[in-house]
Amino acid sequence: MAVPAGGQVRIDWEAVERAPEFQELVRRRRRFVAPATAFFLVWYLGFIVLAGYAPGFMGESIYEGFTVGYLIALTQFVMVWWLAAWYIRRSDRELDPLRAAAAAQAQRDVDRQRADHAARFSAGEEAGR
Amino acid sequence: MTPVFAEVNVEAVVIFGLVVAITLGITYWASKRVRSATDCWAAGRGISGPQNGFAIAGDYMSAASFLGIAGLIFLYGFDGFLYSVGFLVAFLTVLFLLAERMRNAGKFTIADVLSFRLRERPARVAAATGTLAVAAFYLIAQMVGAGALIQALVGIDYNLAILLTGVFMLVYVVFGGMIATTWVQIIKAVMLMAGAIGLSILVMNRVGWNPVELFNRAEAQAGGGSFSLAPGALYTNPVDTVSLGLALVLGTAGLPHILMRFFTVPDAKAARSSVLWAVILIGAFYIMTTALGFGARAFLGEAGVEAAGAGANLAAPNLAQFLGGGAGTFGGDALLAIIAAIAFATILAVVAGLVISASGAVAHDLWSNVVRKGADSEHEEVLVARIAAVAIGAISIAIAIGGGKDLNVSFMVGLAFAVAASANFPALVLALGWRRFNTVGAVTGVAVGTFSSIFLVLISPKVWPGPDSEGGLLPFYDLANPGIVSIPLGFLACWAGTMLSREHGNERSFHELYVRSETGLGAEAAPAASPGPQRAGTRVPTSA
Repeated sequence: MAVPAGGQVRIDWEAVERAPEFQELVRRRRRFVAPATAFFLVWYLGFIVLAGYAPGFMGESIYEGFTVGYLIALTQFVMVWWLAAWYIRRSDRELDPLRAAAAAQAQRDVDRQRADHAARFSAGEEAGR
Repeated sequence: MTPVFAEVNVEAVVIFGLVVAITLGITYWASKRVRSATDCWAAGRGISGPQNGFAIAGDYMSAASFLGIAGLIFLYGFDGFLYSVGFLVAFLTVLFLLAERMRNAGKFTIADVLSFRLRERPARVAAATGTLAVAAFYLIAQMVGAGALIQALVGIDYNLAILLTGVFMLVYVVFGGMIATTWVQIIKAVMLMAGAIGLSILVMNRVGWNPVELFNRAEAQAGGGSFSLAPGALYTNPVDTVSLGLALVLGTAGLPHILMRFFTVPDAKAARSSVLWAVILIGAFYIMTTALGFGARAFLGEAGVEAAGAGANLAAPNLAQFLGGGAGTFGGDALLAIIAAIAFATILAVVAGLVISASGAVAHDLWSNVVRKGADSEHEEVLVARIAAVAIGAISIAIAIGGGKDLNVSFMVGLAFAVAASANFPALVLALGWRRFNTVGAVTGVAVGTFSSIFLVLISPKVWPGPDSEGGLLPFYDLANPGIVSIPLGFLACWAGTMLSREHGNERSFHELYVRSETGLGAEAAPAASPGPQRAGTRVPTSA
């Protein structure tokens, strides 16, 4: 899949963007990232708002001095680990193949241009004789 | 006048020496490997995901989080733990919104990403301004903290302590570049984790491995002070609590020295796995701040508040001394010395990361791309980076010594997070995600975000009219944390600047940025040494 660096080929980025593989990649990533971001922001900001506005509730003891606030704080740690691990698993399994497919599409585009270029070059040589 | 070496803690000096010897050895090894600009700023993109995870943890967990949070929990109980939670959750923002896309679209600095589809020079100047503002506030805070801590822990004079910290920091950065900085950060992360685990084991052992017992003993020692298991002890104004929470969770995603770390790995896959390693380490550490902070309260009590010094920064070291057997015993002094050395390594790793990101902004962005318009050689860029690092280091040493202990450390760190969240974060996220976003929007966003944060902190009750005052410039504004105002202002300015200007022509390169940031096509690859099939395959022409 080696592509020589240089100015002679252009990637049609709009075409790659329109390609179904890329659209699927973006759609699937967004389908995970948007709700996950909304969830963690709501869960975290909810915790902060409760700490700010309901100190009594957060300071309530669940079990001999183990407070509601501390329990919710611990859920934040679990949430971070869980969401990060989930996202990475999903990226490795689902999104990376789509990235490779989108890259292959761009590669075909480059190969086609190079073939055209080569054809034109040899045509030019023919004409020069 | 106190002598320069008053009551020097010999054990601490020996362990300090060991830390310095190891890190200088690494710097010597790294210095022979720093040849290109990529080595200097991105460690040749040869850092693996797990290694980078440790380095991020080492870059991120400053003395403010180690000693500062332990001290805040010791003083205020639950409210101190809010910092721990915010600092960790912030990494989800980094992972979901920036880590991989930064790696795919950038080269060395956040300005690379911002200027990708915006007009190069204004976008770079804006990004460099944001970077330098954050790095400056953070760096000076760390230096002042370092001076005060080393003086208290080791007995070396404040000014000399700052000078030593500054010189070692510069040696790592100037000779070893990002390679040495990375390994200093990795070693520090290992030391910090080991220290926190050790202290936590000692604390938990004393309370029969029962966290509830720890909380109860801590509460029993409240002694009529501010300590509380419930929130509200540190910030009585709920708006301030929310404002702090916002700045923490969004600010990390705008810290240049953290984002820069993502350029050191070979690809986006390694960038995202490094975040997983980082959150495992950082999360585990911040959970252990419970044992450190509540442990300090349980065993040192209200009587220990005075000995813990300003901001109770010495709560954790004093706890270590107590757990080792108390002052004057061998165990107590040894543990104190170990914790002091960890604090020293912690500071060195963070300041080195800050200086390298600031030198990148000066040399790569301002000098190479704005002044010389890309006409300089790579050799020149690296040379300018080294000069810039020395200049930045010298200025920060001078300010830390000149401004001295009067500078309020926590306010400087708060300011750094506020600028990062209000200036850098909105511009980066919108540059990557909003098709219509343009140069005017980015420049106004960064300017408004930076200046509103600084202005709001300057007029806040804790700062105006003097240090630790209770005044404030405006009667209706009494927030210590500006985030809740300045972050929306930053986004609003990005939007307004974009909509009010007539500039359009960059939609075309948005297609390129969009595709490249999502797929990694044409991403800066690891240099020839490791031409994996996938990396070589993604090497496509960089511009149309």
